[in-house]
Amino acid sequence: MIPDVQLIKQGAEARVYLGPFCQRQAIIKERFAKAYRHPTLDKKLTSRRVIQEARCLYRCQKALIDTPTVYLVDLDQSVIYMEYIPGISVRDYLVTEPGQEAEAQHRVAVAIGKALGAMHNIDVIHGDLTTSNLLMRETSGAVVLIDFGLSYVSQLIEDKAVDLYVLERAFVSTHPNTEVMFAQILEAYGESSKASKQILKKLEDVRLRGRKRSMLG
Amino acid sequence: MESYPIEVVPNAGDVHMACFISVKNAPDLKERLQAQDKSLTFAMVESNLIMDVVQLLVAATRAAKDNDTKKLSTQSLSSEIIYNLSPTKNIAESLKRFGITEDTTSLIAVKIGGDPIEVMEDMSKTVDGILVSFSKLDQEKDIKRLRQYYKIDPKVTEDKDILNWIIGAMAMKNVQ
Repeated sequence: MIPDVQLIKQGAEARVYLGPFCQRQAIIKERFAKAYRHPTLDKKLTSRRVIQEARCLYRCQKALIDTPTVYLVDLDQSVIYMEYIPGISVRDYLVTEPGQEAEAQHRVAVAIGKALGAMHNIDVIHGDLTTSNLLMRETSGAVVLIDFGLSYVSQLIEDKAVDLYVLERAFVSTHPNTEVMFAQILEAYGESSKASKQILKKLEDVRLRGRKRSMLG
Repeated sequence: MESYPIEVVPNAGDVHMACFISVKNAPDLKERLQAQDKSLTFAMVESNLIMDVVQLLVAATRAAKDNDTKKLSTQSLSSEIIYNLSPTKNIAESLKRFGITEDTTSLIAVKIGGDPIEVMEDMSKTVDGILVSFSKLDQEKDIKRLRQYYKIDPKVTEDKDILNWIIGAMAMKNVQ
């Protein structure tokens, strides 16, 4: 591991550090071994997820969706080095400045909706959409999608609808009185996503039953 | 010459890089490369395909890391640096595109590790050209070939976005 790194986040799957890499500041995301899994299986699963995360990030970059650039993938150590983007999360934005002007909030909502629409257009499902995983660039205020640790590629309407549902739950549970903003996100999403009609219709079904699909009958 | 640390593999030593223009002995250097002359201890890169020093640093970092774990794809650390610049896994083509040719007049010499003074001496003794600072790089860029080799989307126009695109393509070659 690199010296002079600073731990900025510890999750269930990985540790995220900020440190120097090739004359830049980089995010260093290290997936660690799970002691409760068989070592061989663990190695295989971990490396597969590292690859999956890097591929989804790269797929987004190629489609000109604002995401961190992958700098280096180290499969031996299960580490991804990627671009560090200075900014604040949408979560912090909404929490620290709860009473912003409706106009500013609308702009952010539109940017989020557009980004999600573009991401679903290339069949990338984020898998963990929360307001913490949406970043606003310090420089331009543009919305950046981060943390593709649970992302995968799927064409299913169902998966895209669930992706939106997860974000909706995150919005409702962490930020009171943001129903209007979420509606604006969906509106912008509707304009940029190709199959938005079907996806938004599916979202209504998902709302009624929750994230998990019933396997009965 | 400029030297940079390799954060990922600190024990590999620094990356040393020197930029030469008006190079006169490219045919001779090319011949020595083809004969796998062991006295050539550094990599030589076509400088008009280098957007930024970071691009070379990422390639060198990866080469140092793979050397550390004995997983080089090519014959030497030097050729590995050049190979890593390419987004494709075709070694011959990568070396042909990003390495020097007989017609090369400007190149960047890259070496991992070693004493900076000795490295500099060796580079300027071997390459018959004028040593210049990296700020000269800007005038050399062959954007058309860069766009072709890295399949850069025409909508990407800002230098920093082009550079990120290139680094992303380099990073993903072993996980595609």
